[in-house]
Amino acid sequence: MITVQSLSHTFKIGKKGKEKKIEVLKNIDFQIQQGEIITIVGKSGSGKSTLLQTIAGFMKPDSGSIKVNNTEIANFNEKQSAAFRLDNFGFIFQNFQLLPNQNVFENVELPLKLKGVQASIRKHNVKIILEKVGLTDYADHYPNELSGGQQQRVSIARALITNPPIILADEPTGSLDSQTEKEILELIQQLNKIDNITFMIITHDEEVAQIADRKLRMHDGILLGDVKHVI
Amino acid sequence: MLFKDQLSFVFQHMRKNKLRVTMTVLAAMIGCAFLIVLASVGFGLQATIKGEILNQEDITEINLWGDEPLTQEEMVDIEEIDHVNVVLTRNEISGSIRSTFEDREVESMGIAVNMEDQAKLPSTLSEGRLPENANEIAVGYHFARALLNDKDREIIEQKSKEAEEQGTWYDGLEEGYKGEILNKQVNVQFMDPETMEYLEQISTYTIVGILDEPDYEFQIDSSILFSDDLFLAQPNLVSYPATTIYVDTLDNVLPVLDQLRESNYQVYSPIEQVKELDLFFLIFKIGLIFIGTISILIASIGIFNTMTMAVTERTREIGVLKAIGASPNIIQRLFLMESAFIGLLGTALAVIVSYGLSYLINALLPSIVAFALSDENADMAGITFSIIPVSLVLIAGGISIFVAILSGWRPARKATKIEVIQALRQEL
Repeated sequence: MITVQSLSHTFKIGKKGKEKKIEVLKNIDFQIQQGEIITIVGKSGSGKSTLLQTIAGFMKPDSGSIKVNNTEIANFNEKQSAAFRLDNFGFIFQNFQLLPNQNVFENVELPLKLKGVQASIRKHNVKIILEKVGLTDYADHYPNELSGGQQQRVSIARALITNPPIILADEPTGSLDSQTEKEILELIQQLNKIDNITFMIITHDEEVAQIADRKLRMHDGILLGDVKHVI
Repeated sequence: MLFKDQLSFVFQHMRKNKLRVTMTVLAAMIGCAFLIVLASVGFGLQATIKGEILNQEDITEINLWGDEPLTQEEMVDIEEIDHVNVVLTRNEISGSIRSTFEDREVESMGIAVNMEDQAKLPSTLSEGRLPENANEIAVGYHFARALLNDKDREIIEQKSKEAEEQGTWYDGLEEGYKGEILNKQVNVQFMDPETMEYLEQISTYTIVGILDEPDYEFQIDSSILFSDDLFLAQPNLVSYPATTIYVDTLDNVLPVLDQLRESNYQVYSPIEQVKELDLFFLIFKIGLIFIGTISILIASIGIFNTMTMAVTERTREIGVLKAIGASPNIIQRLFLMESAFIGLLGTALAVIVSYGLSYLINALLPSIVAFALSDENADMAGITFSIIPVSLVLIAGGISIFVAILSGWRPARKATKIEVIQALRQEL
């Protein structure tokens, strides 16, 4: 499903002429299969978020290849990347990234609006998704009226609304307490099992990593491990 | 993204920043209204002056210049040009003519025309008919009032003095002969063209027609219109011929003028004034629109600021939209639509306000001008100070909306350049 080959990326920091180069991704190779949950663990600055952002198309790698269902996306321009993301990826962020001036319904239907889906279909689909994440009664609420766990459920609903084959999650439980974290992880596992959705989860939390079918470890830009788990 | 959804997205943001958007719309409105009202003065003055010219009776007339009078052959050639109705030569008699009636007399100018040609023209008579033989005449509208005796002259002198003391003048028209002059006989003496003395010979003419009142109040017409048979009875009279070509409609005046010029006639028509006037006012209006556009440009700075602030405030939101798949084009379009809508709203309001102001200007300015001139009777009727034609609304609206979009262009481009990663790091 996702094949990453020889992926490298370098950040340049400091003033021009006195720039310092930091290799954040060093020759990364790995594959993710359809229906897998894969976690990438590592310390802060290990390059795990950069890896996710590169796959998502938020930044272009210096070299290497990223194929999603045999489509090479590493060299996409901004417009191509955006269109590809809309059709293939859903995103879950650590701090939810909901639009504060839009209610739950409007936040969840946003990707459908971008796809040009008619309002009546949007309404139907959002209703189903909100049911799935247990927020049917919160459609009219604004993000600041919800708990962290509820906001993350809205974020998950928004990620799922276009039925993307892959969900990219960056520290999805990083802002949640342990009880809510447990609930969110259960929801992710449930979605994976029932809808066969592929999850790539970036986390520094070893407990979160335990839900994965495979756990990869990043250290100083190098992908170290590929350990298969049986849950 | 559906257009309907784009619109609702834009309106949602505008509602969120009501005060800021309202103030920007007001600035756009003031700029656009200033342009419309300023240029409307150009349109108003043009319409007034053009109307004055076009309302003149001689607007379909072409005057022929030249030292030599037209030959009969030339007259026929001109008459054969399409759309020429009549070619009429007016012979202005040299020197003045003295007419006496009872104890009154008047000195006036005389014109002799071919009455057959004159009859082809629309009637210029207020009463009676055109002369049909050498002993009949038509007289100017004020002829009777200009017939004065000694008593009248004394009264006029006295009234003129009084008027002068009050800073005005007296035209004498309240005196003169007040009875019916039509079908009365007057004795006429012509002037010797060489000595400029009145000849002793007295001829008697019957007044059979009275000419129309002149177009303007200040004009006093006491002239005498003779049939050109006059020259048979008075062969020594000297006259100055002036030929006028009458065209059927206003639209055909310019083509006939061109044809006459091609045939080397020296011609002139008041319609040419209109052509020159249109050119002058075109330049004048362009100048006014240019000055007005400066005010729109100033308003555009407000739109630029508003849109720049909107982009800065919504950086994280733009990041989220881009992250979930919004293309840079959509982001740019959303912001351009917002600035265009501010321009559109400002323009719509400006049009309403401008029509209101234009109405007020036309209603109040004549009184203000009359007051400023300290003349309550100043004739301001027919003067339109401000006219807003649809073309002006379209031009001003076009400029205003174009400038609004242009102001939003850079902020919109800035929005598309926002990097997702940086934007998502921003706190709420």
